[in-house]
Amino acid sequence: MTRADADRAPARARRPWPLIVFVLVLVAGGAFAAGRFSAFDATMAPNPADIGFARDMQVHHAQAVEMALIEYRATQDDELRVVAYDIATGQQAQNGEMYGWLVQWKLPQRGSEPLMAWMQGTEHDHGGAVTPQATEDELREAMGMATDEELERLRETAGTTQGDCLFTDLMIRHHTGALEMIAAVRELGSVPRVLQTAEAMADTQQREIDVLRSAQTRLGCG
Amino acid sequence: MAKNGRGTSGNPARAAEQQLTVKQQREANRQAKLAEYQAQLKKRQRGKLVWWAVGSVAVLAVVAAIVASYAFAPRYAEYAEGGSGAEIEGVETFENTTNHVEVGTDVDYPQSPSAGGEHYPLWLNCGIYTEPQQDEYATHSMEHGAVWLTYDPAQVSEDDIATLESITPRTYAILSPYEDMDSPISIQAWNAQLKVDDADDPRLAEFFEEYWRNENVPEPGSACTGAYDGPGKA
Repeated sequence: MTRADADRAPARARRPWPLIVFVLVLVAGGAFAAGRFSAFDATMAPNPADIGFARDMQVHHAQAVEMALIEYRATQDDELRVVAYDIATGQQAQNGEMYGWLVQWKLPQRGSEPLMAWMQGTEHDHGGAVTPQATEDELREAMGMATDEELERLRETAGTTQGDCLFTDLMIRHHTGALEMIAAVRELGSVPRVLQTAEAMADTQQREIDVLRSAQTRLGCG
Repeated sequence: MAKNGRGTSGNPARAAEQQLTVKQQREANRQAKLAEYQAQLKKRQRGKLVWWAVGSVAVLAVVAAIVASYAFAPRYAEYAEGGSGAEIEGVETFENTTNHVEVGTDVDYPQSPSAGGEHYPLWLNCGIYTEPQQDEYATHSMEHGAVWLTYDPAQVSEDDIATLESITPRTYAILSPYEDMDSPISIQAWNAQLKVDDADDPRLAEFFEEYWRNENVPEPGSACTGAYDGPGKA
């Protein structure tokens, strides 16, 4: 028997427990990390822009639906009736999806921050109108939303050419305000579906602005 | 044939040469075995070093993966309450029915002001009202997710009313006087109610955050416009 053999013999006899434990700990650690990584879900981790957009755009959309339904019920213009139908149904559906995002995120529909606070400091802050001191009415106006008086006038004149022209005016302003909010979330948002929806909204609302402008020309609005 | 047993050759000189060769061979064997042993020892030492390196890298990799799984974890949205109202002190919750009754029917509500129950087919359009509103209309608005804020005109000041107006959201909320309440101010949503004494009570804003357009109402997402304008709509 050589010395080398003498060294090896007892090693063969006992099991290398420290090595087995070491490997098991490594495997467990690796599995733990892999498990954490596989549980990552970007769709469930909205940032303040995603959340603010989901809330504020619902407020904005709800008024577009209200105005479109006033127009839909009364207008004598076949083209504008279809446009109004499109806006009311499309934006109501989008509102339902945005509502669902917040439910999924387990967040309330109302935040403790004022409207559009998440857009503050971006170049899309509606010309600096978004400040902590602004009232909700001022913020709604900055978003291109109609005032109560304008809505009342829309209800009174609906069904006349004057009403059609007012509808196109208010809706173009409304959409223009929405485009700013959409640009802000496309810059700041993170959840893929929010960004995808925002992109689709930008396309739709820009196209609708063009349609409303051509209707204004056709109706001879001042 | 061989006469001496010490060698295969009868020639003594040759025999000595042979013996030397055997010695040399033994020495050579010993040297070879030693070299082999040393080579094996070296190999084993090298093997040990490789395993130490592999082990260390594996430990580092696993530790790095665990650290990364925390460092790069998405920050999930957090909100403590979420419809239960448990965090707002003093909120009472109920289980009310959702049936419609004809306009003109007097519904006997278990809460005052109403916080859910039977209601008219028309809902009260949301907004700020300067006159009392019927529970039967406002209840339908709450079924759609609106929050109804009421004050007893005999128990609050003009300043209080202005404060309440400033905290009332411009959509999905109703502010109206309500006579003969058992507290100066009451705020209600579908199946939830909070009574407070002070218009500056921070729980009012918390109630709005918690219950405004809450997903647990029977018809979340339905409108609070386009139906019935009550008297005294501002």
